[in-house]
Amino acid sequence: MSYDRAITVFSPDGHLFQVEYAQEAVKKGSTAVGVRGKKIVVLGVEKKSIAKLQDDRTVRKICALDDNVFLAFAGLTADARVVVNRARVECQSHRLTVEDPVTVEYITRFISSIKQRYTQSNGRRPFGISSLIVGFDFDGTPHLYQTEPSGTYHAWKANAIGRSAKTVREFLEKHYKEEDMESDTEVIKLAIRALLEVVQSGGKNIELAIMKQDESMKILDQEEIKKYVTAIENEKEEAEKKKKT
Amino acid sequence: MATFFGEVLSVYSRAVEEDDDELDDENEEDEQIRREIEEKREVYIEWYPDVTQSVSSGNCTLQCSDLIIAVGPNASGFLSAYVLNTESWDAVGHVSLWNEKSRCTSRQPPLPGEPACRFYRHRDNPSVLMCQSTCYVAEDQLFQWADKVFGSLLNRGLNVMVLSDSPVAEYKTPDNLYGSAVPFLRSLKSSAFKDQALCPALEQPNILTGLPAAVLSHCQVHRIPAVLYQCYTDVIGPDTVTMETYKPALTSLSKLVKLEPCPSADALRRFAKVSEAQSNLYT
Repeated sequence: MSYDRAITVFSPDGHLFQVEYAQEAVKKGSTAVGVRGKKIVVLGVEKKSIAKLQDDRTVRKICALDDNVFLAFAGLTADARVVVNRARVECQSHRLTVEDPVTVEYITRFISSIKQRYTQSNGRRPFGISSLIVGFDFDGTPHLYQTEPSGTYHAWKANAIGRSAKTVREFLEKHYKEEDMESDTEVIKLAIRALLEVVQSGGKNIELAIMKQDESMKILDQEEIKKYVTAIENEKEEAEKKKKT
Repeated sequence: MATFFGEVLSVYSRAVEEDDDELDDENEEDEQIRREIEEKREVYIEWYPDVTQSVSSGNCTLQCSDLIIAVGPNASGFLSAYVLNTESWDAVGHVSLWNEKSRCTSRQPPLPGEPACRFYRHRDNPSVLMCQSTCYVAEDQLFQWADKVFGSLLNRGLNVMVLSDSPVAEYKTPDNLYGSAVPFLRSLKSSAFKDQALCPALEQPNILTGLPAAVLSHCQVHRIPAVLYQCYTDVIGPDTVTMETYKPALTSLSKLVKLEPCPSADALRRFAKVSEAQSNLYT
């Protein structure tokens, strides 16, 4: 085991092992999925089981950064808290400086720059989180970005992070249809269907947050999620009946 | 001596023997302390009365054709879930020893769930012995353990299989091992073992340490056919996926004793550590 596994310096073959290990830490967090529609952005997360005496309002995977941006993370809880706090401060600082809310891309770039700095600093380890950042710019364009421990960020139409991200992403690639994204309901259903692929015991382990154009973030309650889940199950049954005939 | 930071160190040469008189100055008290420590760290094999009765010879040696040793929580859990779940196994003995990490000194059988070294014998095929070792055996006690355990067995025709857990962080390889391959099995065998092992051999420069190494070394020296299956896993503690990695060993085990069909997921979960619902490290 050489020194380049303990701190973030290059290995002889060009790897940054600490960054790659940080990506493994992300896979230990539960799944989060994000879908960008035409007039709505949706983030769905798998709720992790919490202790009986724990207040579940304090175990949040979806955090609002400002009125027009929110994110979901996967990975080390404490690292996420630090990053989210810094992002929130930056959002307000931006508002006070330029009198406009941040664009989604701006705050994503800000978060990514922090993460990248920790991959180049002496003695510090990278942040062990990936995040999905969604929101609307002030001109009404919706965005979905994904950031990684390495400090890279990319825009996506739909993506997943965390434990079973690969399975969910493959599902999204198979079932994402551009024309469906016009309908808010279809966007929400796509996110829920993707999560149902990997979540144990169905709808009660899903938490969903949506933001429609010119509205603030809304976290759906259990009844609403159940309605969508029932609709999805009905559609599945009908599709199977059709297949048989 | 040259150092990185420029300070001067005076170093003693090992070519010149320092005074050995110190050892002769050892007085009775020192000797007594040394003896007490040795006694304290002695390894005892406790065979239960029904076993010692059934053996006719003076010193207890058991007829044994196959010895299966499980070292570590996952290996032991695998044996408990897949092999010991039938009612045809009798507890026949345990090892009592003391070291800083293990205080299984009781001459009484250990309670279930406690870390210990237990021996089981199959009722229908009494020459098949199983050993589950979940307690820590210190380096200075390893030789004694292997010596005494094998000393209690008639070595003729003995075959040994060892299952052992190891953290994957100790696995040295030039390739990246990200997620997909873990947990996995590697094997090592003594020269007398002529069959094919059920998984790839352990590659250099990886080594075995601890009790599995002591057992395999003993088997090599005494020309006993032995095969060891080391499972590299990234989970601390007993875990169902890791236990299932030992399944290839079932093919050899099923030739020795009748095994129940695969245990249900619930049965497996009993042996695995309760998952960290309370762990807030990752969200």
